Amino acid sequence: MLVLYPIAYLIQASLSVGDPQARPPEAYGLDNYTGLGRYAHIFGNTLLVAALATMLAVVVGFAMGWILSRTNVPGRAAFEQLMALPYYVTPLMGALAWALIASPNSGFVNQFWRALGGSDHLVDINTPWGIAWVMALFEGSVAFVMIGAVMKSMDPAMEEASQVLGAGRVRTMLRITLPLVLPGVLGAAVFVFAEMLGSFSAALVLGLPNRFYVVTTAMYQLVSQYPPRFPTAAAMGVSLFAVMFAMVWIYRRIVSSGTYVTITGRAFRPRAMDVGGLRWPFLGVCVAYLAVAVILPVLTITYASFQHLTTAFPRAANFTLVNYETALSLDAVRSALGNSLLLGLATASVGVVLMGFLSWLIYRSRLPGAGVIEYLLMFPQAVPRLVFAFGMLWAWLIFPIPIYGTLWLLLIVYLTVFLPLGFRTISGVILQIDRSLEECAQMCGATWGYRLRTVTMPLLKPGLIAAWLLLFIASVRELGASILLMGPKAKVITPAIVESWFSTSTELTAAMALLQTLAVVAALVLLFAVARRAVQPGGE
Amino acid sequence: MARASIEVRDLVVRYGSVVAVRGVTFTVAAGEHLTLLGPSGCGKTTTLRAIAGLEKPTAGEIRIGGAPVFSSSSPAVNIPAERRGLSMVFQSYAIWPHMSVFDNVAYGLRVRKRPEAEVTTRVREALDLVQLGELGTRSASKLSGGQQQRVALARAFVFSPSVLLFDEPLSNLDAKLRAEMRVELKELQRRLDITSVYVTHDLEEALAISDRIVVMRDGVIEQIGSPAEIYDRPRNTFVADFVGSANLIRGRRRTDLERDGLVVIQTHGGALVHGTAPGRAAGDEVLMAIRTVRLRLERARPATPFNVWPARIRQRVFQGDFTQYHVDWDGRVLIVRVAAPDPLAEGDEVFVSADPRYCVLLEE
Repeated sequence: MLVLYPIAYLIQASLSVGDPQARPPEAYGLDNYTGLGRYAHIFGNTLLVAALATMLAVVVGFAMGWILSRTNVPGRAAFEQLMALPYYVTPLMGALAWALIASPNSGFVNQFWRALGGSDHLVDINTPWGIAWVMALFEGSVAFVMIGAVMKSMDPAMEEASQVLGAGRVRTMLRITLPLVLPGVLGAAVFVFAEMLGSFSAALVLGLPNRFYVVTTAMYQLVSQYPPRFPTAAAMGVSLFAVMFAMVWIYRRIVSSGTYVTITGRAFRPRAMDVGGLRWPFLGVCVAYLAVAVILPVLTITYASFQHLTTAFPRAANFTLVNYETALSLDAVRSALGNSLLLGLATASVGVVLMGFLSWLIYRSRLPGAGVIEYLLMFPQAVPRLVFAFGMLWAWLIFPIPIYGTLWLLLIVYLTVFLPLGFRTISGVILQIDRSLEECAQMCGATWGYRLRTVTMPLLKPGLIAAWLLLFIASVRELGASILLMGPKAKVITPAIVESWFSTSTELTAAMALLQTLAVVAALVLLFAVARRAVQPGGE
Repeated sequence: MARASIEVRDLVVRYGSVVAVRGVTFTVAAGEHLTLLGPSGCGKTTTLRAIAGLEKPTAGEIRIGGAPVFSSSSPAVNIPAERRGLSMVFQSYAIWPHMSVFDNVAYGLRVRKRPEAEVTTRVREALDLVQLGELGTRSASKLSGGQQQRVALARAFVFSPSVLLFDEPLSNLDAKLRAEMRVELKELQRRLDITSVYVTHDLEEALAISDRIVVMRDGVIEQIGSPAEIYDRPRNTFVADFVGSANLIRGRRRTDLERDGLVVIQTHGGALVHGTAPGRAAGDEVLMAIRTVRLRLERARPATPFNVWPARIRQRVFQGDFTQYHVDWDGRVLIVRVAAPDPLAEGDEVFVSADPRYCVLLEE
């Protein structure tokens, strides 16, 4: 219901050919779709950026996956943990940082280049390449997780057999490893490509200055300009949605087609291949990726946030705290930050209960049609958040209860778009808990409530906490849906950061971005402290 | 402890279009140890879970201690598992990893709101009984397979249930431990003096610990009987085949030669085999089963009037506990297992003989 309602309105809007402001539409037709021909270049841009970024991300993911799960590179356990970091840096942070590093005029790299006697600029981030670069750094860790998992599930005996038969390491890698993990790599590529098609923030921050639009940013532009052109935007959204839906469907086909001959029920310990002296270059690759994806962006943002005017060459006089003072003194920023944390808290708490209940319903009760519900729940994943938010905007504008422009609407939107995230996290844990653990309690005479309290909940606890944290972090950093739906009186922090980037100074934006991150970390630390104190007297 | 009888009548369990159990009827007397035996997918676990209340049958009736806990005919009854007063040991042990050994075992008592002092003594007793006396405070996630098995056992009987159900409890243990636990389990059953229903696909386990065995296939019962009956008088080819190794001999009935309650068949090769037909109706062309260990091999012709045939050793396979001989007999191969160390060599001419009590006519 929550899921289908906005989609239906999105499609309705896309078919409206009468007065664009009229609700409900005066006439229906396909004109909006045929009119999309004028925007062909935007679809081209989107495909270009997505293809470039996917290739880069899959190369990164494959290389890192192979190095960290199949070779004896030093410190690979630690690196595997660290590989989650790029995901937390988010495309927005990455885009802001890389704009500072590599924008054509004031980017650090180009300042150095000119200082060394070069003319014009060496690199330009405000290009499709730049957007793809930033997105690839972010999606690289996603691709790594997916490809790494496949590589780990491969029986090393297959590689060993190749070596015993006389093939060298490189030959083994090309002739045995690569073909075996190919379905997994392909799956990762399709998944990443689908995500890229719907990505928004990097394209917004880096593309807008050069009037380089992808579908999502074009939609945003069409809706926020005056007069807004809802039907055209809706038609674009539906087209994008159709393409993504197809991609997700292909992805599912690849994953479920069972071409993973390497995955058996037999347990084995993946043994690492001794790569000898190559260990050090491989280590270098890992460090380099983390450096450009995490360390460099974070350092850049931190540096910029303490500057009056950011340049590549630090001067003592240029250091200042004034950005933080400004950011903290602005009511708008303060309330946006507060709103975001509040929303994060509410989304995570309501979400865990809701999604926990749904997961339990689907996997534990033998409800007829559970499979259909599961499919619906995963639906928002196939829809770019911005497109989804657009459907929501259209849907809730005419909703009898006036929640448009309030935090309540954002709460509903967050709960809907993060359904797949929370559902997947919790159901992963539920599936791991053997059904007999609950049945045994039942056989011991425990009633439903008693079982839930003494067996099910304690076993689910780690999963629920993980889901809560993920939802909290994801909510506080949400951009695509919030930017369309937040009202002037109920701002949230991430869109505020983007606004600040385009309307105020870079340095202030950097400070806000860091404050957001710090606020998330602080909130989490606080919650953990409280939770631990609350749990301890209870025993266990 | 309270003991209860179990009656299962015309039980049918259906999952969608798959029928797992198709009309099963049997009873378990109070204090009896009954085993459901059969290959995987035969419906034995489903039947057990239906008795437990973890599976809702499609039709039939289940009574425990005379009172219906499930009935599909009016008045329809379906008492939930937690109120049936049974207990169960799961194949996966289902040890709760977030509790200590003590808390795991104490669960059933705490559910019943027994005073904590009583809980402590009874859990101690139960842990002593399964020889885990000193492990109470240990976290349950740090136990070996055998220890988990014992905790699961103690947890199952500590609250004095009227019936204990076992779902392949030993299948996850290695062979040596399994043999040990089989003996312990029998001892425990004797001490607890409780009604039990045990599910397994392992013949030796079933023979060792049961008073009676129910052999199942494809959701129906093939035979019910004592371990000795099941072993030596299989009702049909399936039971003969599933319950250990048997030689099957095909032949034509020779009623003209039958006397003293024995049946006689003649093979296509011409050999006459005397056997028994415990209440079996069979046609003209019939099958007879003889366990490989019930055949004897001798150099000299034994002085029995019938069931003695000349044969030749084709192959000898030494297997430690016994030696298996493949013997050319009547134009085919018989398999004979001999426990005694024996000097018979491949190519030797010998006499095969069999006690007619162990040559059993099958219903097919």
